[in-house]
Amino acid sequence: MIVMPLSLRSHCLQRLSSFRRLHTSSALRSETGSFNPAEYCKDLVRKHDYEGYLTSQLYPKRFQGGYLALRAFYIELATVREAVSQTTLGQARLMFWRDAMKDIYNDKPPRHPIALAMYEATRDNHLSLYHFNRIIEAREQELHNQTHLTLESMTSHAESTSSTFLYLLLEMLKLPSSTLAHAASHLGVAQSLTTLIRALPFHASKGVMVIPAEITAKHNVNQQEIFSKGKSSHGLEDAVFELATVANDHLLTARDMFKESGGRVPPDAMPVFSAAIPVVSILSTLESVNFNVFNPSLQIRDWRLAWQVWRSYYKRTF
Amino acid sequence: MSFARPRLVLGFAPRIVATQRSIALRSSLVAYRNIHSTRCSHAEHLESRLEGPIRSPPLGAGSLTAKDEPGKDIDPYKDGQSAIDKAVHLFFFTEIIRGMWIVLENFFREPYTIMYPYEKGPLSPRFRGEHALRRYPSGEERCIACKLCEAICPAQAITIESEARADGSRKTTKYDIDMTKCIYCGFCQEACPVDAIVETQNQEFSTETREELLYNKEKLLANGDRAEAEIAANLYSDHVYR
Repeated sequence: MIVMPLSLRSHCLQRLSSFRRLHTSSALRSETGSFNPAEYCKDLVRKHDYEGYLTSQLYPKRFQGGYLALRAFYIELATVREAVSQTTLGQARLMFWRDAMKDIYNDKPPRHPIALAMYEATRDNHLSLYHFNRIIEAREQELHNQTHLTLESMTSHAESTSSTFLYLLLEMLKLPSSTLAHAASHLGVAQSLTTLIRALPFHASKGVMVIPAEITAKHNVNQQEIFSKGKSSHGLEDAVFELATVANDHLLTARDMFKESGGRVPPDAMPVFSAAIPVVSILSTLESVNFNVFNPSLQIRDWRLAWQVWRSYYKRTF
Repeated sequence: MSFARPRLVLGFAPRIVATQRSIALRSSLVAYRNIHSTRCSHAEHLESRLEGPIRSPPLGAGSLTAKDEPGKDIDPYKDGQSAIDKAVHLFFFTEIIRGMWIVLENFFREPYTIMYPYEKGPLSPRFRGEHALRRYPSGEERCIACKLCEAICPAQAITIESEARADGSRKTTKYDIDMTKCIYCGFCQEACPVDAIVETQNQEFSTETREELLYNKEKLLANGDRAEAEIAANLYSDHVYR
C-alpha cells in the first residue's frame, strides 16, 4: 500500500468530495426543476406575440404544443434582426438555427427549448424541412437589406415568412388543399404587411423606413423628417393608406377563396385562419385613426380581440 | 439671468442718466438763451465751424490738405472715458454679476453630486458590464456549447471546452472569460442563440489581483444567479416587429 502524505491525502479527499457535491447538486437540480420546452415556448409566445397566443387556444389539444413550438420558432427568427447590432452576428444566429433544423431532422436536437419543442412537433407531425429553410433564408435576406424598393419584393418576402409559417400550420393539421394553401398565402402577406405598418414607429426610431421606396416616392414622403420628428405627415398617411389597401386586398382575396361555402372556412382549418382576426382588427383601427401610424391607439392591444377571436371561431369566418 | 439685467441697468443708470442729463441741460440752456437772443444757435454753430477751413488756406493756393480737414481739432473724449473703456467696464461687470447670480442660484438648489458607493447614478438597461451565464427557471444551464460567442469575440477573451453528456446534450466543461482582454462590445450576448451569456449592469468588480479577473464557469453562473431578475427585466420586449 502506498502511503500518502497526510496533507496531500486530505487535499485529494476534499477535491473528491467537492466534486461529488457539485455533481449531485447539478443532478438534483435537473431532477427537481423540470426543464419544460413546451412551457418555455408558451411563455415566449405569450410575451412576444399575444395575438398568436390567443389563437393558439383554438387549436385542438394535440396540436397546441406543435403550434406554440412553431410560433416560438417564428418569433425567435423574427427578433434576430433587433437583437443584433451587426449583420455577421445575425448570420451566426441564423446559422445556428439552420444547423439546429438539420439536427432536429437527424434526431439530434440541440438543448435549446424551442429546438426541443420543434423536435417533438416534427416527430409527431409531418413537417417539411423546406419551409423552415425558406423562413430562415428570408430572415437572412432581411439582415442585409431591411428596406424594400418595390412592393413586389416586399410581398415575396412576406410570402416566404408568414405565408410559409401558415403552410407549416396547414401541414401540421394535415390539410393538403390547394385552395387552403392559396388562401393562406394571401393571408400571410396581409399579416406581414399589417405587422410592419404597426411597427413603423419602432422602425422609424431606428432609422428604417418599412414602406417600399416606390410607394414613399410616389407620395413625396420625407423620410428624414419622419425619423427625426417621429410624426406623421400627409404624404406618409397616403403611403400608409396605399400599403394598408394592399394588405386589405390580400385579405379580401383570401376571403374569396371560401366563396363556394358562403365565406365559411372548413372547421379543421379555422384555427389557422383565425390569424386573420388580429389583422382585421389592426386594419380597422388604422382606418379609424385616418392612417396616422404614430397614433398611440395602434400600439395598444385591442381589448375586444379575445372576444372577436372566439366569435369568429364559431362563425367560421374571418 | 433675467433678474440680473434690471439690476445692472439700475446700477448703471444714474451715471449714464447723469451725463446725458448734463449734456441735455447745457444744450437746452443754450437753446433757451439763443431763442431769447435774436440769433439762431444752429446758424451760429455752423458759422463758427465754417470759419476755420475758409480762413486757413491762403487765397489763391487752390488746394486743401489733410490738415485742413474740418473738425479735426475736436476731441470727443477729452472729458471722460473712451467708448472702449466703457464697453470693457460694462461687459466685465455683467460677467461678474452673471457669475455671482449662478452661484446664488445653485446655493439654493439641491446638490448635483451623489454619495457614490451608497447612492448610484442611473444606468441604461443596455449597459454592458460584468458577464454572467444564465440558467433556465428549472436551474438547468442555458449554455449549449455552440461556441458562437467564442467565435465572434473580437478580443478572443472567451475559451470554451465542451463534452457530450449521457443524455446526448452538449454542455461546457470549461467556460472562461479573460476580463482583462474583454472589450465589453456585447457581441457574445448578441450572438448567443439561447441568451445564456449576458452582460449584466454590474460595473463594480475590481479586484486586487489580476488572476481574479480570469473568470471561470462557476463565477459566471454565480453572477447569473445573483442578477437573474434584473437580466430578465432588461431582456423583456413586448412586440414582434416583423
